Amino acid sequence: MRSSERNIYSFLRKYQVIIVSAALALFSLHLALTDKKEYARGYLLKEILSYTVTPVQSLMLGVQDSITGVWNDYFFLVGVHEENESLKKTIYSLVEENRRLGEDFKQNERLRALLEFKQSLPYSTTGASIIGYNIERWSRTVMIDKGSSDGIGKDHAAIAFGGIVGRIIEVNGASSRVLLTTDLRSNIDVMIERSRVKGVVEGNGTDGLVMKYVRQVDEVQVGDQVITSGLSGIFPKGLIVGEVTRVEKSGDNFFKHVEVRPAVDLGRLEEVLIIRERSFYNE
Amino acid sequence: MKEFLLFLPLTIIYLALKGTLFAAFPLPDITLIMVFYLASTKASTEGAVLAFVLGYLDDAFSGGVIGTSSFALLVIFLSVHLLSMLVQFTSPAAKAGGAAAAALVKGAASYYVLRYSNVDVYFFTHVVLQALVTGFFAPPVISALQWLVMLVTPRKFKDNES
Repeated sequence: MRSSERNIYSFLRKYQVIIVSAALALFSLHLALTDKKEYARGYLLKEILSYTVTPVQSLMLGVQDSITGVWNDYFFLVGVHEENESLKKTIYSLVEENRRLGEDFKQNERLRALLEFKQSLPYSTTGASIIGYNIERWSRTVMIDKGSSDGIGKDHAAIAFGGIVGRIIEVNGASSRVLLTTDLRSNIDVMIERSRVKGVVEGNGTDGLVMKYVRQVDEVQVGDQVITSGLSGIFPKGLIVGEVTRVEKSGDNFFKHVEVRPAVDLGRLEEVLIIRERSFYNE
Repeated sequence: MKEFLLFLPLTIIYLALKGTLFAAFPLPDITLIMVFYLASTKASTEGAVLAFVLGYLDDAFSGGVIGTSSFALLVIFLSVHLLSMLVQFTSPAAKAGGAAAAALVKGAASYYVLRYSNVDVYFFTHVVLQALVTGFFAPPVISALQWLVMLVTPRKFKDNES
């Protein structure tokens, strides 16, 4: 080996690290600068790496998904509990609001029907809401939210869509008490619409009415409509009181025992109309 | 050769973790610390090739421009190798300072290569923060690497030596 060759070999051996490093650095720089230009440089290495890098990254992402899943499904439930409570409150609030809107809708329908009924009547009337019930064995009355300041007076008739309700027995400034037709103290002059047989309807202390003073010879049958006769002066003539549900001979063999079902369901009543005219004797 | 076989799987695991589970955390640049360790202790042709491969893997895993990290790591390998003839990187402070400086060099090299390739990079968040974290963790990581290398190096006893 000649000395020049020996010198070159010695030089390369001495600086092999620097030479290899510099060569690889230049090669890397070349890859970096040509990578963006989409040359096919380093394609083989990329392909090799795609088979090694991708499975490892997939494995790690799988581990990450598992950890995230455990966190979200279990540990994160602490926050979900509070959120759940908050959502429950929201649901209760919405249910309450929905119920209230439903009530408003039903009330609206009732008031509309009452208004139509009011407009069809030939009397001056005042609408009132029932604000209290007094349903006991010997007393069946309701309180309404209209009183003397609204033009309400004692013995004014209370009616509803479908028939009579009762009469005013007590008047305050802003409220009044209505004696229902089913009260034992209630007496209303009535007649059978079909046969014009007259009698007096009294409350039986429960939810029914009894028509008294109907003679055995009078023609009354189940299903007959009972209307006001207008003789008492409190109720105008022709208002529906109820329907005959039972006709029997009484023990004295002189009068019939006639049971009447009220035309108005007094237990479910919420609004009434008060007729502001005191006397109907002239009709 | 044993460093090659030891550092390669470690780098793959590290890069896989860095790109998935710890993507949002500023991890120390383990590949850079490995190259720094190789260059400062026993620089060889094998070490240079390993630096190239580690840089290539770094770019492949991170989805960056292929060759950027390789170039930066080889520049560091060469610089540290030449510096180690003058300075001894034995104390923890020297290791930390050297690794942080190397991280800055790597960041700067990558930054300028990427800028030349018209890729948007943020110098302070991508380079300075990485250099600080790498410098902070360099001494314990280098100690761990030394321990691992010793672990896979077969021991020779005087009685068995021929």
